[in-house]
Amino acid sequence: MLEKVTEILREQLNLENADIQMETSFKEDLEVDSLDLFELVMALEEEYDIEIPSEDLEQLTTVGAVVEYLKNKGAE
Amino acid sequence: MKTRITELLGIEYPVFQGGMAWVAEHHLAAAVSEAGGLGIIGAASAPAQVVREEIRKARKLTDKPIGVNIMLMNPNAPEVAKVVIEEGVKVVTTGAGNPAKLMQEFKEAGVKVIPVVAGVAMAKMMERCGADAVIAEGTESGGHIGAATTMCLVPQVADAVQIPVIAAGGIGDGRGFAAAFMLGADAVQMGTRFVVAKESIVHPNYKEKILKAKDVDSEVTGRSTGHPVRQIRNQMTREYLRLEKEGAGLEELEQLTLGSLRSAVIDGDVVKGTLMAGQIAGLVKKEQSCKEIIHEIMEEAEFLLNRKEW
Repeated sequence: MLEKVTEILREQLNLENADIQMETSFKEDLEVDSLDLFELVMALEEEYDIEIPSEDLEQLTTVGAVVEYLKNKGAE
Repeated sequence: MKTRITELLGIEYPVFQGGMAWVAEHHLAAAVSEAGGLGIIGAASAPAQVVREEIRKARKLTDKPIGVNIMLMNPNAPEVAKVVIEEGVKVVTTGAGNPAKLMQEFKEAGVKVIPVVAGVAMAKMMERCGADAVIAEGTESGGHIGAATTMCLVPQVADAVQIPVIAAGGIGDGRGFAAAFMLGADAVQMGTRFVVAKESIVHPNYKEKILKAKDVDSEVTGRSTGHPVRQIRNQMTREYLRLEKEGAGLEELEQLTLGSLRSAVIDGDVVKGTLMAGQIAGLVKKEQSCKEIIHEIMEEAEFLLNRKEW
């Protein structure tokens, strides 16, 4: 799943060469701002056919948190 | 003029006054509402009890609808939300964050929630979690800003959501109003033009700086911090940008701006104060009453929107 999430990240946020690992922080490592996060979440919803309520956004601080969140939502 | 926004909120003209920190207090908000627009009290980082008093004072000056802007980054935002509901305010605009957590509470109290958005994805998300409209605010605005311009942002947001869109950023007269409607807006929000209103308590020195500002006098500080702020260039912005260029840390930069908006608005310090204003400041040339401002804009806009020959 990390691979797929990484692919979506790269595409949505134009992060062609960034080093993306589970512990990568959106804010500190990738300088992703809150607007970018909205974009990312929209793309994840579409890819995994789930709904991510916007109040959950603040938990999604790292790539690992996103992967974990998606797993808990039953995404594959 | 009737639009989806005037119908939704029960106001006469589709004109909002931005919920500017320190500036948008009860005199200004009440005057805008009394003139038929939507006056908005800016809660900013004020304690909830102060917001309650501001609402009550505004109510003494007008019985027309008024709104409150809640800055969500402020830790006391839930407390301010409670006060807003208790005081029977029916319109809330939100900035600097995501109002999802407060949405249910507002809905149950019959409060219309209108978040400020700076991008399409956020606008869609807000619509889904129950927002009644969105304010699409372009980077021309004064104060804290996003990246997209009003010209580009408004039509894209209008295409992306079904709820009404209020255009903000760079609107200062009837031409800006008409243009916003051409781009798909149902209302406009203005800040800078109301900062210099007769009813605005902003220090005369600050007003003078806006009235004398030229098109190129606008500066953005704080890009390196992720929280850019648009204001009129002065000694403070020069010093700030110099420090930013030298790679100064957040702490050092914050030292410079601590209390600087208050000192500009209240004490009239135009040298070291933060003179928040939009790019449209160059167009704002007169101190007028809120009623004069709104009437002038509506008259000009209605002429333009009905015009047959170009």
